[in-house]
Amino acid sequence: EKKMSADPKIVELLSELHQLIKQTQEERSRKNKSIIFSVPASPYYRTKLRGLYTTAKADAEAECSILRHALDKIAEIKSLMEERRIAAKMAGVYSDSDPPRKTMRRGVLMTLLQQSAMTLPLWIGKPGESPPPLCGAIPASSDYVAKQGDKVAARVKAVDGDEQWILAEVVSYSHSTNKYEVDDIDEEGKERHTLSRRRIIPLPQWKANPETDPEALFSKEQLVLALYPQTTCFYRALIHAPPHRPQDDYSVLFEDTSYADGYSPPLNVAQRYVVACKENKKK
Amino acid sequence: MSELKDCPPLKYYDFKPVEHVKVCPRYTAVLGRSEDDGIGIEELDTLQLELETLLSSASRRLRALEEQRQILTDWQDKKGDKRFLKIGKDPDPAATSRHKPKKQKLDGKGSHAPGPGPGRPKSKNIQPKVPEYEFTEEPQDIPRVPKNDAPNRFWASVEPYCADITNEEIRLLEELLKPPEDETEYFKIPALGKHYSQRWAQEDLLEEQREGARANDKKKNMMGGPLSELDAKDVDSLLKKSESQHESPEDGCPFGPLTQRLLQALVEENIISPMEDSSIPDITGKDANDGAGTSPRSQGKAFRLAKEEMRKQELRQRVRVADNEVMEAFRRIMAARQKKRTPSKKEKDQAWKALKERESILKLLDG
Repeated sequence: EKKMSADPKIVELLSELHQLIKQTQEERSRKNKSIIFSVPASPYYRTKLRGLYTTAKADAEAECSILRHALDKIAEIKSLMEERRIAAKMAGVYSDSDPPRKTMRRGVLMTLLQQSAMTLPLWIGKPGESPPPLCGAIPASSDYVAKQGDKVAARVKAVDGDEQWILAEVVSYSHSTNKYEVDDIDEEGKERHTLSRRRIIPLPQWKANPETDPEALFSKEQLVLALYPQTTCFYRALIHAPPHRPQDDYSVLFEDTSYADGYSPPLNVAQRYVVACKENKKK
Repeated sequence: MSELKDCPPLKYYDFKPVEHVKVCPRYTAVLGRSEDDGIGIEELDTLQLELETLLSSASRRLRALEEQRQILTDWQDKKGDKRFLKIGKDPDPAATSRHKPKKQKLDGKGSHAPGPGPGRPKSKNIQPKVPEYEFTEEPQDIPRVPKNDAPNRFWASVEPYCADITNEEIRLLEELLKPPEDETEYFKIPALGKHYSQRWAQEDLLEEQREGARANDKKKNMMGGPLSELDAKDVDSLLKKSESQHESPEDGCPFGPLTQRLLQALVEENIISPMEDSSIPDITGKDANDGAGTSPRSQGKAFRLAKEEMRKQELRQRVRVADNEVMEAFRRIMAARQKKRTPSKKEKDQAWKALKERESILKLLDG
């Protein structure tokens, strides 16, 4: 990471971000945003109130706009870093500060996965905008192709012949064969799989905001595939409770024959690692 | 009260901005830094979450404002003209109840329980309360708007000058103009009475006699009764006297001095309207008597004008009837058009007849 900080492009972007954050605070403190309205009695005051609403709305729009700008800047920096990471990986060059994952301890990988789930951007639409595909529970369009480096749930055949949904990273997609090449995220397996489209489920690219877009979340009792905590495998589960706040996780009940009722006790799984389950029959 | 019921179901919002110092520590820290210190890559994730919190709050404010503005706009467009027609009419209960369902419908837009105040329904549209966003909807007391009946009073005062002249008023004028038949009564000279000097002398004498009798009574009492009793009586009468003075002040105000002062203060502060203003001036009764004070000539003029006005009134009445007939004919022809059939000759003739009749009456009225 130190190496990346030294990258002039990233340094420039970080400085731009700094400026944007300062502008954001200027915008936020420019006007008193606390508005108290009472029921207006006369038409004159109603018109006046309408004017106040319009002004307040313009203020809010300006604030939203600068905040979006700053968030876009962060996304830009992150995607640039991701590009660099993939390039480094492809070249097979690992620096001292980015050691090969072969040697990465499992606990470190789990922390990374959690971090990535937490910083999945929150989708905040403008008024009247509805959440896009890959936001929360909204599936990708049928012709969607996951990009290189995207995380996906991939259905692979294990050595013992059992089928399993694993967390994987897209390496490439071939339009001629309609097949993905994916890497198992848990490089202990060191396996590269070639899988058809049907065996790939892209993970959400935005968190859905439960406060504004609850319809973009899986609802209670819905059957999903969820990443079992401290593993890199997806298992069938029922939604126990959807998140209430942007940073909350789903609470899910995993199918588990070792429990009397066939389900595990409620476990938390981040929005990033919960995807729709197509097959409805129980195994 | 109906004024308040008509109000749009605006919600009361108190938009407290997110306190970034408390909720967004990294953001706050970055703000305080100089250009040289800048932002580290490792800070991006935290910054992102904090900026998302700020954006979420701002975008909810934006949505709420848009919603409120829309409600207000819709409501203004819908009600603006209706309210104007209502002026001058007595507030009738039917009118209020006519507005009620509309209001409830607006309320119903996502509400599950009736709000405690007319202007403040609870709505499901409001996102669940989250502490860090400080997005609260607080109860609000709606100030009672003092009832304004100025329009009603105004129209009532104007009414006598604009109302149609009735036959009764014509009759009154006629009677005023009629030469009095038996004025002889007023010309009779009564018989001569006692001379004033004799009469006054007699009155003075009677008064003196009464005074004398009272003085005697007083003396008797002084001698007979104990002193204290007399004092008590005197005090009593004094008290009664002062009481009676307080009870009926010259202006006949029904309130005591303290209440009057209070009322005065309230009127001066424009909190209530003065007592004398609140009653509609009683003009009708006075008018009839006023005629007696005017000269026979102006009475004659008034009578002529009134007669003329009566004639015009009659014409106007006929114009109204004619208007209705024209409208009726118009409707019939329109109905025919809608059914894609040419209006019959009879219908056409009727329409023309109605139009011509109306024209001729209007000509009469102008002439």
